[in-house]
Amino acid sequence: MSRSKERSISVALATATCGLLGSSIPAVVDAQEEPNWDINTSLLYYGEDEDRVQEFSLKAIIRRLYTDDRVFTFGLTIDGLTGASPSGAIPLDSPQTITNASGNSVYTVPAGELPLDEEFRDTRVAITANWQQPVGESSQVNIGASASKEYDYLHFGLSGRFSKDFNKRNTTVSAGFAVASDENDPEGGAPIPLSSLLDIGDLSNHLGTDDKDIVDVVLGVSQVISRNLVVQANYSFSNESGYLNNPFKILSVVDATTGDTISRVAGPGGGPSHEFLFENRPNDRSKQSLYTQAKYYMDGNVLDASYRYMTDDWEIDSHTIDLRYRWPVGNDKYLEPHLRFYTQTEAEFYRLSIIDGAPLPVYASSDYRLGDFDAMTAGLKFGWKTSDNNDMSVRVELYQQSGSIPGGQIIGNQAARNNYPDLNAIIAQFSYRFKR
Amino acid sequence: MKTVLAIGILLICSACTSMGVEPWERDVLAKDEMQLTTDALEAATDDHIYFSKEASSGGRGFGGGGCGCN
Amino acid sequence: MGSPCELLCELESSRDAEMMTAIVAAEAWRIEEKLSRYIDGNIIHQINSANGKPVEVDSETAQLLDFAETLFSLSEGAFDITSGVLRGAWTFDGSDNIPARPEVEALLIHVGWDKGNWQSPVLTLPGNMEIDLGGIGKEYAVDRAVNILRADSDKPFLVNFGGDLAVTGPPQARKAWTVGIEAVEQGEATQLIELRQGALATSGDARRFLKRDGVRYGHVIDPRTGWPVEEAASSITVAADTCTQAGMLSTLAMLKGASAESFLDKQSEQYWCHR
Repeated sequence: MSRSKERSISVALATATCGLLGSSIPAVVDAQEEPNWDINTSLLYYGEDEDRVQEFSLKAIIRRLYTDDRVFTFGLTIDGLTGASPSGAIPLDSPQTITNASGNSVYTVPAGELPLDEEFRDTRVAITANWQQPVGESSQVNIGASASKEYDYLHFGLSGRFSKDFNKRNTTVSAGFAVASDENDPEGGAPIPLSSLLDIGDLSNHLGTDDKDIVDVVLGVSQVISRNLVVQANYSFSNESGYLNNPFKILSVVDATTGDTISRVAGPGGGPSHEFLFENRPNDRSKQSLYTQAKYYMDGNVLDASYRYMTDDWEIDSHTIDLRYRWPVGNDKYLEPHLRFYTQTEAEFYRLSIIDGAPLPVYASSDYRLGDFDAMTAGLKFGWKTSDNNDMSVRVELYQQSGSIPGGQIIGNQAARNNYPDLNAIIAQFSYRFKR
Repeated sequence: MKTVLAIGILLICSACTSMGVEPWERDVLAKDEMQLTTDALEAATDDHIYFSKEASSGGRGFGGGGCGCN
Repeated sequence: MGSPCELLCELESSRDAEMMTAIVAAEAWRIEEKLSRYIDGNIIHQINSANGKPVEVDSETAQLLDFAETLFSLSEGAFDITSGVLRGAWTFDGSDNIPARPEVEALLIHVGWDKGNWQSPVLTLPGNMEIDLGGIGKEYAVDRAVNILRADSDKPFLVNFGGDLAVTGPPQARKAWTVGIEAVEQGEATQLIELRQGALATSGDARRFLKRDGVRYGHVIDPRTGWPVEEAASSITVAADTCTQAGMLSTLAMLKGASAESFLDKQSEQYWCHR
């Protein structure tokens, strides 16, 4: 049969069908194979002011969708970090020279300035893999693995999650379990806790690598309340044990009256100008948190509100409120303002400095992230559909931390200085999501 | 804390059998923007940033480790 | 229809859904009552028991016979509503029970639409010949149901009669109806299709075959030879504007055997072929 004759069959068939079914003109078929791939990509810039941390990050989450709700998810993150990070030492009215964490060089901090460890530079590659599949009519299982590598840090993790739907799938209960093993291998070796910073090249207080193990349990329930409202509540327990110090963080050893850091005579090859100790944290930490979230649909707009309470046995309590409001603009664009409020209390062993001559505390850290601070994020996201029905979005957010030193910890001259490293950062992210 | 939470979850569950929608009333809930995590990449980004700048992590999902930044 | 039938809808009230389901079910049963060759007294039964006498048919049956005649000529005799008698020789039960050639030849005498005389609205068939509209009826019923639903409501519906289906429009909650195509051997969907408008129909049943001396005989019989079509696909799904068009194209492609894909490629309709 000739090509044209075969082609004419569908035309003749259409005419014949029209005769059979009457004159009503049917709509033209619109069928398309469901995409098998859902690919999310983004480019992130995170930048702190005053030459502190700058980060560029490329992220991708690639989902391979199989029929019957089975999904394989692969995630890749490549981060490049540069910049300086507060070392934990206090500012002084005179310049101070500090050995870097690896013990092979020194840096000098001008008078009145907060000491920043300039050396911070790292690349991090992280991958995750996850398999999700239904079990029976109403249950689902997820298993996952993760790994990441930085210059001085290595992470491996495994996770599992089981969820079950009840009540016409209006209620979902889930339980998840994750374990991770992380290895810290700072250049020169991890420092002995609460040992002094030594002259350049003296690595006698540096040991080898140190590990930590992490166990996470998350129990959750999500509930559809009405056609427009869905809520979720998660309880999480997390335990970290092992080496929980930050090998780069130090404390200043200060005079009990003046509050100024005790001077020191550096060796001929160079070394610190003052007395500093490496920090020491307990080797065990248990956190518990309660996370609640609600999503509410109002005539095309969506309010996403969440609250998290966290408490741990380092006596840190925190509250987080996160609000997002998705506001459609036209048919295929939206604006999404974002506000986040965070507050935490300091760890019981947080201290600004160590008093010379007083008994050494068992644990001490002046890491600002273990201090008492409030933070706020304000951002705006704009999202749109591209002509080929893919999603793009851009968001810009400002993140601000402001902390305070517990009253009793400020000694003598310290009162006149700004000891807490306030933080201002900008977050800019471009995302592109496509399916094929 | 744990017992209180367990009881809390149980209470929620017994109350919720009378809540929710019929399968054919899921038109709004089925929308992408009504999923609990709308943008997985953005959620992961935020979790990572705040993990490295604050003492809290997790809540929405697992909170543990994976970065030498803390 | 000899298979599960369902109506999916997106409506505000369950009462509306029950009402529309009742309307669709009534239409499906009406068509089945009228066209099933297993029901005594209906028009098909009258034709098949006329024993050479002319039978005058109603206008709906006449339109179906017109349609069957068009397909018979379009397919050069491969699609033939008189081919049902060949089922007497072939039972596709997975065995090696291949009929003897004379047995098939004897039945073939009673096959061939062109042996009868169709002058609408009167059909005259030689004695011992039968017609079976089963190859058209299900798809026709789906399209009839869709037409009725379109006339009564502007809401989205999906009518599925045993895997042959059509929609009246895309659902509002999601952008499309998601339909899975099964690979029969595996019993699970191998491809999901997003259907917003139009119809899907599938021909083929990989479980129905005969096998002897390493040769597999699929259940599609070429009425011109009386023997199964060689190298027929195990299933073919076609998307088209109407379920009838989709169903006929998948049936005709099935009858093309090894060249099903090249036939469908020329029809400018989407298809999914399993072999």
